[in-house]
Amino acid sequence: MSDAREVRGSHAPAGGVAEARQALAAWVDEAGDEGRAFLQARIVATEPGRYEIRHARDRGRPRRSLKRVTSDPFAAREIAQTTGAGEHRPLKTAPNLKRGWALVDLDARGLWIALDYLYPACAVHWHAGRTGTLRPTHWRETAGRQSGIYAPVKLLDDATVRNVVRACCADAVCLRRVAWEIDADTPLALADEGPVRGDAPIPCPEACSMFISFARQVLKIERTPRAEVAGLAPMAAAEMEQVRAIVAAAADGTLGEAREGEFEEPTNARRVRYLAARFAEAAVEPETPSELPCEGCPKKVPCAGCPLIGPN
Amino acid sequence: MQALIIIGHGSHLNADSSAPVYRHAEAIRRTGAFDEVRECFWKEEPSMREVFDLVESEDVYVVPLFISEGYFTEEVIPRELGLSGPAPSTTEKPGKTVRYTLPVGTHPSMPAMILRRAEETAGLTDEEARRAGLVIIGHGTERNSNSSEVIYRVTRQAEEAGVFARVRTGFLDQAPEVGEVLEEMEEPTVVLVPFFVAEGWHTQETIPDDLGINRPAVSHVTEKDGRTIFYAAPVGTFPEIAEIVLQRAREAGARIPSDVRVTEAAGV
Repeated sequence: MSDAREVRGSHAPAGGVAEARQALAAWVDEAGDEGRAFLQARIVATEPGRYEIRHARDRGRPRRSLKRVTSDPFAAREIAQTTGAGEHRPLKTAPNLKRGWALVDLDARGLWIALDYLYPACAVHWHAGRTGTLRPTHWRETAGRQSGIYAPVKLLDDATVRNVVRACCADAVCLRRVAWEIDADTPLALADEGPVRGDAPIPCPEACSMFISFARQVLKIERTPRAEVAGLAPMAAAEMEQVRAIVAAAADGTLGEAREGEFEEPTNARRVRYLAARFAEAAVEPETPSELPCEGCPKKVPCAGCPLIGPN
Repeated sequence: MQALIIIGHGSHLNADSSAPVYRHAEAIRRTGAFDEVRECFWKEEPSMREVFDLVESEDVYVVPLFISEGYFTEEVIPRELGLSGPAPSTTEKPGKTVRYTLPVGTHPSMPAMILRRAEETAGLTDEEARRAGLVIIGHGTERNSNSSEVIYRVTRQAEEAGVFARVRTGFLDQAPEVGEVLEEMEEPTVVLVPFFVAEGWHTQETIPDDLGINRPAVSHVTEKDGRTIFYAAPVGTFPEIAEIVLQRAREAGARIPSDVRVTEAAGV
C-alpha cells in the first residue's frame, strides 16, 4: 500500500525538511561560481552562506536590467504565480517560469523558502529522490480514493492512463519526472524522456490535481463513440471538431493560447498532446502503391512515382 | 515548533481563488505567532498531496478557508490529508500531530464581522444603518445543504443584532433568488454581501449582471430605481478573516499570546 492514511499528504520522510535544506545549500556551495540549475531557476552562492536565485536564462544579466530584485524570499510566491504573459500558473513545475527577477542575498533558510515558493515541495522531493527515501503513491490508489465528479477516473484502463501521462507529464508541460506507477505491479513503462532540465531531477510522487482533472476530461472523450478514419485513428465527432479547431488555431497563429487548466478548450496543450499520443499509438500502415492510374497517366500500375510531379 | 496551514480550494484557471489564502497567511506570518505558515490547495500548488513535506514543525494546525462545513471540509480534506476524521480532529502522523479545525465561515464571529464590513463598505453611520437593508448572498444548491444553513444562521444572527433595519438571504441557484429578495427590500439603501470565500466569476460578473448593478471593477455603488445599492467584497477576503483563522488555531490548542493582533489592509 503506497497510500496509507498515516503518511498521506507527505512523500518524504518525517524530519526531512531540515536535512534537505542543509543538503540543498551544500549542493549549491559545491558548485562554486557556476551554481546549480534547479528546473528553470539558477541558484548561485554569491559569498559563503549567501545565495541568489534567478531564471536560468537571466544568468549574467546586469541586475539593473531586471524588473524585480529583492531580498524577500516570500516574493518568490508572486513571481511563480503568473507567466511572463500574465497567465495563471496552477502548476508551478510547468516550464513557463517567468523571467526578469532576482532573489538576492538569501541565507540558507531564505534560499529554502524562496525555492519552496517557486517550486513547492520540489527541493524536499529532490532530496528524498537522491537518498532513495521518496515514497510515491501509485495511480490506482490515487484514483481509487477520488470522489464526487472525479470518482470515475478510476475507470480509465492502463493504456489510457499511459496516454494521459504522455499528455500531462512530459517536459513540454511539466518538468517533474513521474515516479509513480499504475500500481505496484504494473509499471508505467514509458519511453525515457532523456536528460532532465537543469542539474536536479525532481520526482513527481503522486498524480497532481491537474492530472486528475485532465483524466476526467479524457474519460469523457473515451466514452464517446468513434468511427474509423482511414490513415488516422478511430475518431469521435468531437475529436474531428478538435482537429478542425487545432488546424484553425495553427493557421491563425493562436495555437498555444488556451489556458493551461482549461480542459474543455480543444486547443488546450494537454488536449492536443493527448490526441497526438492517440495518433502515435494508432500505427499508420505504410502507403501502398495506388492500384489505379490517374486519369491520362501514361505509366502502368501499380504506381511507384509520378513522372508528372517528380519523385515522392 | 508550531505550524499553521491554511487550506483553500484554488483554481486551475485563475488566481482569484487562492488570493485570500495567501493574503491571510501573509498577515498571520507577520505576527510571528507561528514558526511556519503555509498555504495549500485542492487545485493549485502547493497541493494537499505534499503539504506535510512543506513544514518541519511537530505541531501542525490546519484551518480550512471555506465558508461552510460540507463536502470539502468533511470529506475531501480529511481524506487527502489522511486525517482521523472531520473537524475538530487530532491525527498523529510520523513526527507530527495534526489538528484540524472547523472552517472559518462557521465561526461565531462571522455575523459581527459581516455587519461591520457592510457598514464600512457603504460608509454608513450606525444611525443610517438602522434605516438600511442588508442582503447576504449565497450560492445555494451545493453538494449538501450545510452551506445554505450557515447563511441562514448568519442572517438570523445579523438580524437579531439590530444593526440593520432588515437582513435577508438571497441565493444564486435556489429560492429565495437574490434578485427577488432585492426587489422586496423596502429600504432606500441596501448593502449586498456575497457569502463567498473569494472573488471569482460569480462575485465579479454573474451576481452584478443578474441584479443590474455595476460590476465591482467599475464601482461598488449603484443608484437604481431611487435606491442606493452597495456591493461589498466577498466575506472570505475581509481582513478580519485572518483573525478568525488565528482564533480557530487558538481554539485547537495553538500557543498564541492573547495580545497578538493581525493587521491587514482592507481590499484584495
